Amino acid sequence: MFTRRNFLQTSAAVAAVGLAAPALAQGTRVKLGYVSPQTGPLSAFSAADKFMVDKFLAAAPGLGLDVEVIVKDSQSNPNRAAEVAKELVSRDEVNLLLVASTPETTNPVCSVGEAEEIPVISTVAPWQPWFIGQQGNPQDPASWQGFDYAYHFFWGLEDAIAVFLGMWNSADTNKAVGALWPNDADGNAWASPVGMPPALAEAGFKLTDPGRYQNLTDDFSAQINAFKQSGADILVGIPIPPDFTTFWTQAKQQGLNPKIVTMAKALLFPESVQALGPLGHNLTSEVWWTPNHPFKSSLTGESSAQLAAGFEAAAKRQWTQPVGFVHAMFEVAADAIKRAEDPTDGDALAKAVAATKLDSIVGRIEFGRDNVPEFARANVSKTPLVGGQWRRKDDGNFDLVIVENAQAPEIPRGGDLELLG
Amino acid sequence: MTQISNLTQSRSFSFALIALLAVVMALLPFFAPRAVVQDLFMILALTVLALNWNMLAGFAGLVSVGQQAFVGIGAYTAFAGVILYGLDPLTGVLIAGIVAMVLSIPVAFFTFRLNGAYFAIATWVVADILRLAFSQWKAVGGGTGTSLPKGTTKDMLGVQAIKDALDVSSAAAADTMLYWLVLALALVTLVASYMFLRSRMGLGLQAIRDNVNAARSVGVDPLRLKALVFLLTAFGTGICGALIFLQLGRITPNSAFAVTDWTAFVIFIVVIGGIGTLPGPIIGAVVFYILKRLLSDYGSVYLIVLGLIGIAIMLFARRGLWGMLKERTGFDLLPLSHRPPAAVQTTKEGALT
Repeated sequence: MFTRRNFLQTSAAVAAVGLAAPALAQGTRVKLGYVSPQTGPLSAFSAADKFMVDKFLAAAPGLGLDVEVIVKDSQSNPNRAAEVAKELVSRDEVNLLLVASTPETTNPVCSVGEAEEIPVISTVAPWQPWFIGQQGNPQDPASWQGFDYAYHFFWGLEDAIAVFLGMWNSADTNKAVGALWPNDADGNAWASPVGMPPALAEAGFKLTDPGRYQNLTDDFSAQINAFKQSGADILVGIPIPPDFTTFWTQAKQQGLNPKIVTMAKALLFPESVQALGPLGHNLTSEVWWTPNHPFKSSLTGESSAQLAAGFEAAAKRQWTQPVGFVHAMFEVAADAIKRAEDPTDGDALAKAVAATKLDSIVGRIEFGRDNVPEFARANVSKTPLVGGQWRRKDDGNFDLVIVENAQAPEIPRGGDLELLG
Repeated sequence: MTQISNLTQSRSFSFALIALLAVVMALLPFFAPRAVVQDLFMILALTVLALNWNMLAGFAGLVSVGQQAFVGIGAYTAFAGVILYGLDPLTGVLIAGIVAMVLSIPVAFFTFRLNGAYFAIATWVVADILRLAFSQWKAVGGGTGTSLPKGTTKDMLGVQAIKDALDVSSAAAADTMLYWLVLALALVTLVASYMFLRSRMGLGLQAIRDNVNAARSVGVDPLRLKALVFLLTAFGTGICGALIFLQLGRITPNSAFAVTDWTAFVIFIVVIGGIGTLPGPIIGAVVFYILKRLLSDYGSVYLIVLGLIGIAIMLFARRGLWGMLKERTGFDLLPLSHRPPAAVQTTKEGALT
């Protein structure tokens, strides 16, 4: 993205070393630095980046904003994410950092923003791995500290658990659940005492957890056997997409036939489900955003459906869930820049971000609400979450149908949960 | 005789040049923008890793693909010291080097039974075992990883003084502090490598690399020398790892034990710069960093280009960029060659006099 431009900027910066004079005054241009995984295993999250940046830049003058966006690729590598965030701060002298997609990207960038005293707007990672994952000792809640510059909007594990339980309770099963949780930020958060095990026990489900596995494993026989022995009707997990493809293919080969398979992260993108072919039919997943969400953009006034249609026309591919969230991230940025006393001052801008009260394309974004535990409340705003099921059409494409909306009744349901054949 | 005086001259010239460069670089934070300081930090850190790997592969003949083990150990030791025991990060850095060195003893014990490609694979295996083991250490985040607690680098020894002296933000002052540390580490590594290689032990080491049996026959103990180099490079690599991750501020097992970042790129640096020379890794690190800055926005094309450059240099400039330069100009920095012993006189009968 913007490679030629970045190249020119880099060369110019190298040429102009020593001439950098930070003349900060009101009315000057506000620089935004955006870090996302455009290449590597997480690149599906960034499909909408270019489209959204262009849209934001086109809408900005109409809102009276003079902005510039510098996009950097994390290459799906946490080291690289921290490095480019530092570059954005020291070389490009950005006033605001934006970051999206998985704790592996958001956490390093937020740590840099916090250390450099530059505000960060972060999204697309459940808030527990985002907040707790950035604490020095995640096991000691007494040592947890809030952030002064990092702000995050997304849903939390408690929402995903409620959605999943809602789906599972709507069907007739033996209430035995098998869990596929990797040893990464997301997997550890789901498997922890603030995650799924206590909630399942309370709701009367029996959990089989064969333990954390390493990402990019190529043999899931141990897990499959454990699930077979416990007779699990329901499978849950948060594998990365290639791991789920491996797992699910092997599970079918070895005769594991659950009634419901609900996977977070792995089933977000139409491409990953299509890769499974007929095996992808009726798999379920959490849904953060669809073109049917009844919200409007505060930047362009478009509805969810219009935004998705615009993306599909421009990118010539099916809409994905991050489309809405990347757009919302720019909505929050524009709104905060407008309200800040001096948007080029880190503290003033952070104050404006903290005071966000915005109806965005992904729902209301407001920090400090009581649906988030007190320790994280100031930095986290939750957005609504529903449950969806992938339905294979005759032409081999898949539709995502919303089958569970108890947590957010304003989002319409498209059908009932169907069991796997 | 001219060759001898050339060597001596070249030697004093090298020392003068390095001293001058060191002074200029030490003074840099006083006038250069922060971005330059950060760039140089990474270049110096890569130089230290490359000098260490070059000692192993270029001089001791130990082609290790597992140096990320010591980067990771160093980094995790420093983080654990800060997070769990409340140490000053600088104390943590020193302990990081010691822990890495202590750990290299059992590693050497097992891997030294193997040679060549088998040794390379064994070191990689060790590094991956460590990566998996650290993924289980919950107190520093397990597979999730962890961040330095807020304000750690600001409270680091000396940062407040730099902040006042240079009138900069505390984040910039911490950058400066870490930059000076890595500069010192790079200088110490370079000078220590030079002195070691010029010593009796260094000569023995290069003899082992070229032919183990011949070296043994003249009384060089290969195992002792190789183990010594392995331990010392583990110390340097561990300290460097701790500094790198203090600068990044966040650690995960996959980033700390990354084979691409801390070994594959380092091998690339040494190969393009010139393996088995001291200036080679320095030049390689600078060239690599420039390539990275120019190309990394092009996504995966960047790695393909790096690979092609590596192959081209291996095919057409086997001694690396420095070797090529030396051949073309006859100019050498930090020459390691010794004065040849006086020619042995033989009588007509062939007996030694």
